[in-house]
Amino acid sequence: MKSLFRWELVLIGLVCVAVALAPFILSDYNRSQGADVAVYVMAILGLNIVTGYTGQISIGHGAFMAIGGYTTAILTHNHGWNDIATLPVALLAGFVAGLIVGIPALRFHGAYLALLTFAFALAVPQIAKNYSHFTGGTEGLALPTHSGLWLYGVAWSAAAVIYVWTWLLLRGRTGRAFQAARDSEIAAASSGVSLSVYKTFAFGMSAAFAAVAGSLFVLINNFVNPDVFVLTLSLYVLLGAVVGGLGSLWGVLIGAAFIQLLPIGLTSSTLVSSSSVPVVFGAIVILVMALIPRGSAEVLRVALGLPNRIRSSHDASTPQSLEAR
Amino acid sequence: MTSRTRLSLVVALLVLGAVVVASAVASTSAAQVPGVTAKTITIGGTFPLTGPAQLYGVIPKAENAYFQYVNAHGGVNGRKINFKYYDDGYNPAMTVPLTHKLVQQDKVFAVYGSLGTAPTLATRDYLNKAGVPQVLVATGDSYWGAQYKKYPWTIGFQPDYPGESRVYGQFINAKVPQAKIGVLMQDDAYGQNYYNGLLQGLGDSKSKIVDVEKYDATQTDVSQQVFKLKAAGANVFALFALPTQTITALVVATKIGWHPVTFINNVSSSPLFMGLAQKSGADVQNDITATYIYDVWNNPDTATSKLYKSILSQYDSGADPLDANNVYGVANAATMVQALKMAGKGLTRQGLMNALTNLNWVNPFLYPGVKMVTTPTERYPIDQQILEQYKGTGWKPFGHIFSHAR
Repeated sequence: MKSLFRWELVLIGLVCVAVALAPFILSDYNRSQGADVAVYVMAILGLNIVTGYTGQISIGHGAFMAIGGYTTAILTHNHGWNDIATLPVALLAGFVAGLIVGIPALRFHGAYLALLTFAFALAVPQIAKNYSHFTGGTEGLALPTHSGLWLYGVAWSAAAVIYVWTWLLLRGRTGRAFQAARDSEIAAASSGVSLSVYKTFAFGMSAAFAAVAGSLFVLINNFVNPDVFVLTLSLYVLLGAVVGGLGSLWGVLIGAAFIQLLPIGLTSSTLVSSSSVPVVFGAIVILVMALIPRGSAEVLRVALGLPNRIRSSHDASTPQSLEAR
Repeated sequence: MTSRTRLSLVVALLVLGAVVVASAVASTSAAQVPGVTAKTITIGGTFPLTGPAQLYGVIPKAENAYFQYVNAHGGVNGRKINFKYYDDGYNPAMTVPLTHKLVQQDKVFAVYGSLGTAPTLATRDYLNKAGVPQVLVATGDSYWGAQYKKYPWTIGFQPDYPGESRVYGQFINAKVPQAKIGVLMQDDAYGQNYYNGLLQGLGDSKSKIVDVEKYDATQTDVSQQVFKLKAAGANVFALFALPTQTITALVVATKIGWHPVTFINNVSSSPLFMGLAQKSGADVQNDITATYIYDVWNNPDTATSKLYKSILSQYDSGADPLDANNVYGVANAATMVQALKMAGKGLTRQGLMNALTNLNWVNPFLYPGVKMVTTPTERYPIDQQILEQYKGTGWKPFGHIFSHAR
């Protein structure tokens, strides 16, 4: 057992060193790209809590990102706050929004819950359009600009905090309760897990992390308007979570890099003609899904020879609610 | 065991914290004018080559064709123009990183011609703070001309949308008795700009509007909205939509037996799109739009038409010369070349802005009589249009050129 954990530690250490040293090699543009990857790391971690661990599908996490993004934008633009000081407020705003969505989510399952979150993702940008004195309406709000290095440092620091937080949250009693709720609600309830408390709490934490991701997304763009939080954003986060591996924290970085770097790389590459970029992107997604249906976390696990200790008896790589019923 | 794992994570956090501190001493390097060498000028833009607005995807190709033509004839003040364009799919979330790439990685001299209101809004602050010209953007919103004090590095090209729809409103008041107007508009700044102009043009008769239906830019099926407009009893149809949605709306209207007096906004009324709508069964006879570009359809044998077609056939093979967006692209690129010429041999970003805000020029690819005039405080490069009506298989201009009174 001990030696296996040593391998995990080496891997974590290597990734941390690589992330910390990368900005000193990268150009300013690539630093802001790196910061965007950190944004998706946070959003995917958030989505993973609710979809990967608790088994509730959300295709509306872009809405929580919008809530965080607007919190930061309004506080800095209208009230002159320091950017970093807005992050805890965004976290809190996201948490509250998550609880509010989490309560009806108790009564919805599977595809119905997915549609509920989908509706939420459609509605939030509309709200921003209608309260234009706070939100700037369709014209949007401008934020202070920062160097790529600043953005990289802040985004990855926030991502590291949220990563550790998620890990601490999921490794103990709470994480076991989440997974119990995912694997069998009846069994969980009869073991004394309060479904309503844990499922709502999962939504709250998930939304809180997505909101921080949204804050940094807005800081990197130094601009916010409702059109920035298009529906594809929510779908990309879900795609990133699936590519990374639902129900595991190992593949998050790969999932985030996949959704941030692949579309931009394809679009600006000269190898692929622009009109075929969506086709190529779609084909790559299908290929990845076909080759590693359990996500890159599974590949890492096998490559490192780690035991399948996250899911011992029940194969939980696909949460029950994602399977056809 | 777990405490060691935790310790390593804490160490990792400290390392990352150091990165933040290091960022405080981020350096800035000043060099000569970015994107300009003795032999080249590099400019770049973002365009919807795919996605809901992809019918505009021909524009950057036509623009590039004109730049190639100019390059083949010696370039501008001895420099060749190198035009880089990326596909943002009309999605601001893509426009932002791609524009960062143009500025920081490709080191463009200016962001030129980028298409779309939402994409332009999303990048306007960044470019203005960075002091990078955002010029001749392919969107007619009134922001670019109206907010120049706050955003001095941004300037548009085409007539502003509210000015265009204001004329539709005035025309309805004067020429359409007992009008009951149904509006189909895109639910964003673009649609709103057109709608505001229509309200201004109608003046006291705003109550003529019986129904307004909106759609999201990513939505292409607008038939439900058209059903509702017909059901509301409208006999005038004002379309403030993107080409794909416009074509759908025209086809659906005819299919359900609705024959209103139809106004189609300029950016969706290319003869190519009208032809597509006709082929799919739409009755577009007597529809009304406004234009400002050279009429290559009714004047196929003039020198301008011939030059335009030869540029396309030589440098943009496969382009349809009867698509108004190609005329638009050539006319826009010609303006950029004119401004670069005016900015002179010692080209600077400020010099380009000075040139674009002191235009007094007849662009050969615009409608005869339309003149490009700007001053540092009057930043609407094209301010004149003429109404057209669809007759047979093409648009026929009527009346006289009007200016957008402001």
